Amino acid sequence: MRNAYSLRLTAYGRKPCPALFLSPFWLLAFGLWLLTSSAFALPLFRDSLPNGLIILTYEDHRLPIADFALVCRSGAAFDPAGGEGTADLAADLLMRGTSTMPGDSVSGLIELLGAQMRSGADYDAANVTLRCLAKDADRILDLLSDAVLHPAFDQKEFNRARDRALIDARSSLDEPSEVVDYEYNRLLFGTHRYALPASGDTGSLRTLARDDVVRFHQTHFRPNNCFVVAVGDIDREKLVRAIEDRLGSWAPGPVPTPEPPSPAFTERIRVKLITRPDMNQSYVEFGHPGTSMLDEDMLATRIMAYVLGGGALSSRMGVAVREQAGLAYDVRCWFDRRTLAGAFRATVQTTDPKTAIRKMMDEVRLMRDSGATRAELLKAHNYYTGSFPLTYSSNRGKLRETWQLELYRFGLDWLETFPDKVRAVALADIEKAARDHLRPGHYLIVVLGNVTRDDLGLADVEWIE
Amino acid sequence: MGFSFVLLLLAVSAGIEENVHEHTLKNGLKVLVYVDSSAPVASVNAYYRLGSYDEQPGHTGLSHMLEHMSFKRTDIYRPGDFDRILDSAGAHNNGFTSTFFTGYFENFASDRWELGLRLEAARMGRCVFPDSEFESERRVVAEERRLRENDPGSVLWEQFESAALLANPQRNPTIGWSDDIRRFTVQDVRDWYVKYYNPANAVLVVAGDVDPEEVRAKAEQHFGRFKGKPVTRRDYYGIEPRQTGERRVVVRRKVLMPAMLVAFHSPGARDSLCYAGDVAAHVIGAGRSSRLHRRLVVEQGLATNVGAWNSVETDPGLFYIYVTPKAESLIPLIERAVEGEIERLGKEPPTDREMERVKNNVLAQAFYSRDDAAGIARFMARSHILFGDWRHFLIERERLAAVTKKEVIEFCRRFLVPDNRTTGLLLPEER
Repeated sequence: MRNAYSLRLTAYGRKPCPALFLSPFWLLAFGLWLLTSSAFALPLFRDSLPNGLIILTYEDHRLPIADFALVCRSGAAFDPAGGEGTADLAADLLMRGTSTMPGDSVSGLIELLGAQMRSGADYDAANVTLRCLAKDADRILDLLSDAVLHPAFDQKEFNRARDRALIDARSSLDEPSEVVDYEYNRLLFGTHRYALPASGDTGSLRTLARDDVVRFHQTHFRPNNCFVVAVGDIDREKLVRAIEDRLGSWAPGPVPTPEPPSPAFTERIRVKLITRPDMNQSYVEFGHPGTSMLDEDMLATRIMAYVLGGGALSSRMGVAVREQAGLAYDVRCWFDRRTLAGAFRATVQTTDPKTAIRKMMDEVRLMRDSGATRAELLKAHNYYTGSFPLTYSSNRGKLRETWQLELYRFGLDWLETFPDKVRAVALADIEKAARDHLRPGHYLIVVLGNVTRDDLGLADVEWIE
Repeated sequence: MGFSFVLLLLAVSAGIEENVHEHTLKNGLKVLVYVDSSAPVASVNAYYRLGSYDEQPGHTGLSHMLEHMSFKRTDIYRPGDFDRILDSAGAHNNGFTSTFFTGYFENFASDRWELGLRLEAARMGRCVFPDSEFESERRVVAEERRLRENDPGSVLWEQFESAALLANPQRNPTIGWSDDIRRFTVQDVRDWYVKYYNPANAVLVVAGDVDPEEVRAKAEQHFGRFKGKPVTRRDYYGIEPRQTGERRVVVRRKVLMPAMLVAFHSPGARDSLCYAGDVAAHVIGAGRSSRLHRRLVVEQGLATNVGAWNSVETDPGLFYIYVTPKAESLIPLIERAVEGEIERLGKEPPTDREMERVKNNVLAQAFYSRDDAAGIARFMARSHILFGDWRHFLIERERLAAVTKKEVIEFCRRFLVPDNRTTGLLLPEER
């Protein structure tokens, strides 16, 4: 997804933006909430059409509004080599004109209705989301189904979308944190698709052609590879019929599987230093290969990462680096949320990278050696349990969580079994997750700033030129 | 305006108004409760009438520094307790400082909202600021400030606003100038706290699945003990010196892509034409249907992104346009196109379809906003702090929907003129 270039900075939060890396935990808490609340039984249903299209509905009649998402299980991980950015552009272009409706007319109608539309792709999925007044739901479904079945992929629209993606890719490299992240991914993932941003980079986007996008759509946008989520003032039975009327003729087809990444843990710490004399602060990202959302110990791993550096100011890294030492405004760590194994990442921006890196690495090593305390585990459970209703109380939250639930194939019974799964995560599981997934001494470190190798105080490391 | 449109908009407003309960404690604390029992959640919000607008030269950023320090220590809580307690309760919380106010919020499952009142009461009347805890937090704020200095877009923004506004304190960055951050003392923070953090200068808004009577009783219990010291409402800073020629700001940094900002002085909410500025912004730069998008992105291919918005504050503010040019060399053409579209709107009124689009968006946004009780709480708190009436955000929608084509033309002719313009450019360093 691409956002408008935002320059407005009127308010400053005391905390950095909250991390949203642990979303499945909301499901955990929601399960607990369900068990204790009969007043909010979940009106969530999963239907399927003969062509394999899954439809998830969540009725909520508080307001006359509706939210829809069409999600294709093929995200940027399915981009062809050299064609990085194809999935993102394909999703972007879906809503930019059909065989019977030019792009201007599509956006014109959406905006005339006061509806909201976004589209794009991350590594795991390509998607289109729409929000509208319930009275306009049929018209929005008309647009969405026409877009999926008969996208025009008009050459002029393609050129405009690619130009914008190219300029966004170039602009992103004007932001130091993006440069560090770009280098970290490139060096960690090598030739795998994860080495480049989901939206591609200037090299790949420059070579993309309209045919690439058409081919991606024809291959991956199949009903047996997609699902629809509908939330709000809708009627499940009517909605399923309405979608079947519009998308029942959509033909299924074979869908390829992506190549898993195989980044290796390095034998010693590798460091890439990018010298920028114009900077008055160093941007740091370090870590190593991570885990998959489908791993059996996914819950334990994410609770462990929350205690280590996911809980913003009250995490171990937050307390050590910010609260006690005043070294940074934002410090955190997380495991990527991806179907295929992603990365473990720790980030900080500071004028004292040497001390900050050392403190963060000390915390990783301590977690690896000793795991979490009982109090930390209890706090983590309480946090996710207690805060879940917040993420699921709005239509947007319901849409997001239902989407994640289906994407990672947790199944609807996941909600009921989740509390037990969480209760089953014990200190021993946290310790095992830390032992299995934290690898001090095998880091890739990327630093950007006005510092020298000596300033970083890193001994016995391999410097990457 | 169509009759059914008006009825629908009024229905949305009525749906909110009938669920709001107002109370004022003897010490002056305004307590507003918005009841929405559709989900088991609650939001506690404490806002103070204090922002960067209130700061004096040499002390910019002091309100933001106070916000940071207010999480540290009270006579009953130690540093770290706020976060530990709230995390354990599953709360989403934060604090923020803006030009006109400072706000704190805690969003909870609805069975634990009282904890928010207890913590906010401690923040309002029981903070202590030991010397020993100041320097560390000042370093954190200085690092936060450096994040802006290393972000070229933020640098452009900061220098652009300081050039567009000469006299109004809105020209100062909320986080403060770096030298000021280095200079102020813990005693400055203490004095600022004593002057501004008191019940008569604040509003408490609780929204969600709560009992208004219980909130009122608990507000009395937790906040009633504090003495209210009304803060003389800051003077209206008045009108900027009349601008009699374009100003230009050029920021050169190590960037690959240029960026462009344009602003015009515009009237504040006290002026009847203020909301015509919102409609003009919508027609000029909101969405792919907007005139500038069609011209610059679709027809001429000079830019990839455009946008426009009008600030609606108590003071006169700015009407903004931003553009992402495809290349630096295209900027003169873009400037001519922007000027051309503005001139056109000053001569040709918005079309019926454009006006319908604006009104439909007002109505749709009104419904969408009710999806989240915490969002309504934010609207209410801001309206009360800025305008002295929590209903103001509802009134704004009605005023916006009532704007006529003639008013849009008048706004363009009066305010969107070259002599009233500031242009800001972010450009790559010269080779």
